[in-house]
Amino acid sequence: MRHDDITEAIGNTPLVRIDPAVHGLANIDLYAKLELLNPFGSVKDRAAWHMARPLLERAAPGDTVVELSSGNTAKALALLAGMHGLPFKSVTNRMKVPEIKELLLLLGAEIDELPGGSECLDPADTDDPLTRMHRQLAAEGGGYLHTDQYFNQRNVDAHVHGTGPEIVKDLGGRAPDYFVACVGTAGSSTGVARVLRQHNPDVEVIGLVAAKSDFIPGIRTIDEVHEVGLFDPGVYDALETVTADQAIDGLLTLVRRCGILTGPTGGGAFAGALRHLRAVDASLTGRRSAVFIVCDRLESYLSYVRDRRPELFGRPPRRNSVRTLTEAELGAAPVLGIAAAQRHVLDAGGLVVDLRNPYAYQALHIAGSINIADEVFAELLHAGLPVSRGRPLLLVCPVGEKSARYAALLRRMGHPDVHSLAGGIIAWRDAGAELVRD
Amino acid sequence: MLGLTPRIDPTIQSLLDDRDYLAELLDALGSPLALVLPQRATENVAAFRATFRRHHLSGRVHFAHKANRSSALLRELAAGEAGVDVASLGELQHALSAGFTADRIVATGPKNREFLWLAARTGVTVSADSADELAELAGIVSAHRLPRVPVTLRLSGFASSGVRQLTRRSRFGTPAGELAGLLDLLAGRADQVHLTGVAYHLDTTALPEKAVAMENCLAALDECRARGLRPRSLDIGGGFGVNYLADGAEWERWTTELGQAVLGRRPPLTWDGHGYGLRAEGGTLRGSLALYPAYRPVTGPAYLDQLLGTPAPQLGRPLGELLLDHMYDLDVEPGRALLDQCGLVLARVLAVSGDRVRLDVNARDVSLEEHGVLMDPVIVPRPGDRRTGPAGFYLLGNLCLETDLITRRKVCLPVEPRPGDLLAFVNTAGYHMDFNATHAMHQPVARKVAVYRSGGARRWCLDEQYWPVHSGQDTP
Repeated sequence: MRHDDITEAIGNTPLVRIDPAVHGLANIDLYAKLELLNPFGSVKDRAAWHMARPLLERAAPGDTVVELSSGNTAKALALLAGMHGLPFKSVTNRMKVPEIKELLLLLGAEIDELPGGSECLDPADTDDPLTRMHRQLAAEGGGYLHTDQYFNQRNVDAHVHGTGPEIVKDLGGRAPDYFVACVGTAGSSTGVARVLRQHNPDVEVIGLVAAKSDFIPGIRTIDEVHEVGLFDPGVYDALETVTADQAIDGLLTLVRRCGILTGPTGGGAFAGALRHLRAVDASLTGRRSAVFIVCDRLESYLSYVRDRRPELFGRPPRRNSVRTLTEAELGAAPVLGIAAAQRHVLDAGGLVVDLRNPYAYQALHIAGSINIADEVFAELLHAGLPVSRGRPLLLVCPVGEKSARYAALLRRMGHPDVHSLAGGIIAWRDAGAELVRD
Repeated sequence: MLGLTPRIDPTIQSLLDDRDYLAELLDALGSPLALVLPQRATENVAAFRATFRRHHLSGRVHFAHKANRSSALLRELAAGEAGVDVASLGELQHALSAGFTADRIVATGPKNREFLWLAARTGVTVSADSADELAELAGIVSAHRLPRVPVTLRLSGFASSGVRQLTRRSRFGTPAGELAGLLDLLAGRADQVHLTGVAYHLDTTALPEKAVAMENCLAALDECRARGLRPRSLDIGGGFGVNYLADGAEWERWTTELGQAVLGRRPPLTWDGHGYGLRAEGGTLRGSLALYPAYRPVTGPAYLDQLLGTPAPQLGRPLGELLLDHMYDLDVEPGRALLDQCGLVLARVLAVSGDRVRLDVNARDVSLEEHGVLMDPVIVPRPGDRRTGPAGFYLLGNLCLETDLITRRKVCLPVEPRPGDLLAFVNTAGYHMDFNATHAMHQPVARKVAVYRSGGARRWCLDEQYWPVHSGQDTP
């Protein structure tokens, strides 16, 4: 398939049947709409392009595309703006996934992170982020192209003309009986539901939101949906909550059993769909069909999953790690006081290794010492002893705690003359011993 | 009923369970009446110290005096290991008279000449807000031939790289980019002032903003060292927060329902449908909730612990480890957090009509509403009556003023109040006790008493009579 421009690759995503052995539904065929296969990686490519196209067509050189977005919309807009030689700026207070931030910076986007809540309350400060952004844009004068995804009807239209008709076409001209979607800007769920209902007024539309204190990327909480201009509760036959835990369970099933490399939003849609459909499956008499949306891809959410399921990233323990030290080994860690350290190590031509961070070392350190920050030192030790056994060695850290651990470990690894500086460099300073900056 | 049940520790609960004791106090001293629990403040200091120890950090916990004017609290803290942060001439005099020595006092906030002079004369640390203030201080020291004054530099307006972290504009502190000018000034005034550290204070609950500020301050301290100065401490101010509510689910439910009420999808929860910052526009909820997050799972010492464990945005190391690496002391200035569970305000019920309860107290004596903290009071009923309940009530104050509602939220009480009952507004020692209290309309300001344990018994005295020396002392 030949294209003149990457935007032509947006849309026409596959509808893939989920193996009944995986979902276990007896009477329902479950399909995943793979929006993750859009060129920029998510369902937002459609809305971003549909909203941005008219703005980009009349853009003046130097204009900046701007949007209140914490993820996929920002990503798509950054790429689209870049194709037109324009900068993109995202304003956000919800960007909680570090990989997304890094990716946006890599794409050349500018990110403004809004401040947190006030500790000493100012009752007069009641602006919502969108109002605050409008004011900031106004204060800076013109030159901004704001796609306004939470209020822009073109966000919905992208799905009325794209996603919705594609699903109907792929189901042989029929709408599914159930449609399940996570509610973010409400654009995709509203647009698709409108098309499906034109074909089948009885289609049951289930909107998924996150529990109030929970966080699933791309899904708004039960309260936050009411801040979305496009959100109309009448669109949904039911609004149900999914938890981050369920979203990750759904993600793991789709990834490990179905070969669908979904992110947590799609995982949440799958989990929410299964929960809803399992409750009705047994009472059904004929065949039914259901569709859910797989919003985006897994790779950007590794830290999100790692924070919540560290066991999924389990690795075998590494050799020579301070974590393997026993209480007895720690108790027997060889230490030297300041006077003894000066006599035994410094005067004897021994080596002083300062384990603090390089900036702290450069600001002040013991004359003649070398700096190997503890995380680098730990890496070196996995491979074996990095220091000659024949040379006295003094380890230094702020208060003598980390250095004692490493001294115990080096002793176990066979260094006969390693010590930790008791009380660390703070005790050294407090004793009036010399520190230099060179 | 949509209640917001306050968190109550056993000491306050034991007071609430002793109706006769409270009623006697109120009969003697009038309504409203403020109770402070000085010994609890000492426990709170100890909890902060435990966080310091966990991170191997030295430094001082300074009580932000502005949170409460009580003498008892201040004197009890002076008896322990805390320092104090004073923000006015009067607070400095109060701290000195409570027994704080100069090495345990830091003077912050906007300062007039008299405040600067007394600070310099007594040798307290002055947190300099600007170059002008630093110059004025040095001028006073020079003109009056005073000894060199220890100073810290309060910085603000920190830059972040990569993602631009926005922060509300502050009226305090010198922009971090103008540090070099301050250091020039310090160098020229070395006989009058000497640098002991730098400081920031951000009015935010967000850790990422504080992480940016803290890392910038570490860089500023290193710049000071590079100029041959020997700063010892980083003062990160306060803002550690208090958790006011017993149940997070209640808070979530109430705030959800408030949004629904503002959208007109349920009956109002507030006087005249007040939205606390939320408003409806075309069926969409706009504005933002102008309320203190009354339920906060991580506050006080635990919040400090989390901040110290937060990786520095540039260097990647946890901020606590960076402080240690660079050998700086950590100074903190909690106000609210040090007064968690340290007091309550009592008021008498004057009249009840339908869902309106009129109290002999006004919204300035219990300034919960002013500070956006929502929680239910505890009713201490007269014994014997059979009552209906639970139910929702509006609490009206004793000022001849339409807006004098103790809170615009309809509070939830387990039983219907009757005249002569007491309502207790618990956990109000930090900012909600006397911060806003006035004699408007010649209504009395609440008297304040200290309740403490000594010799195995509960005792009380007027706040100004309290000194931390008790006969037959059994400090906890």
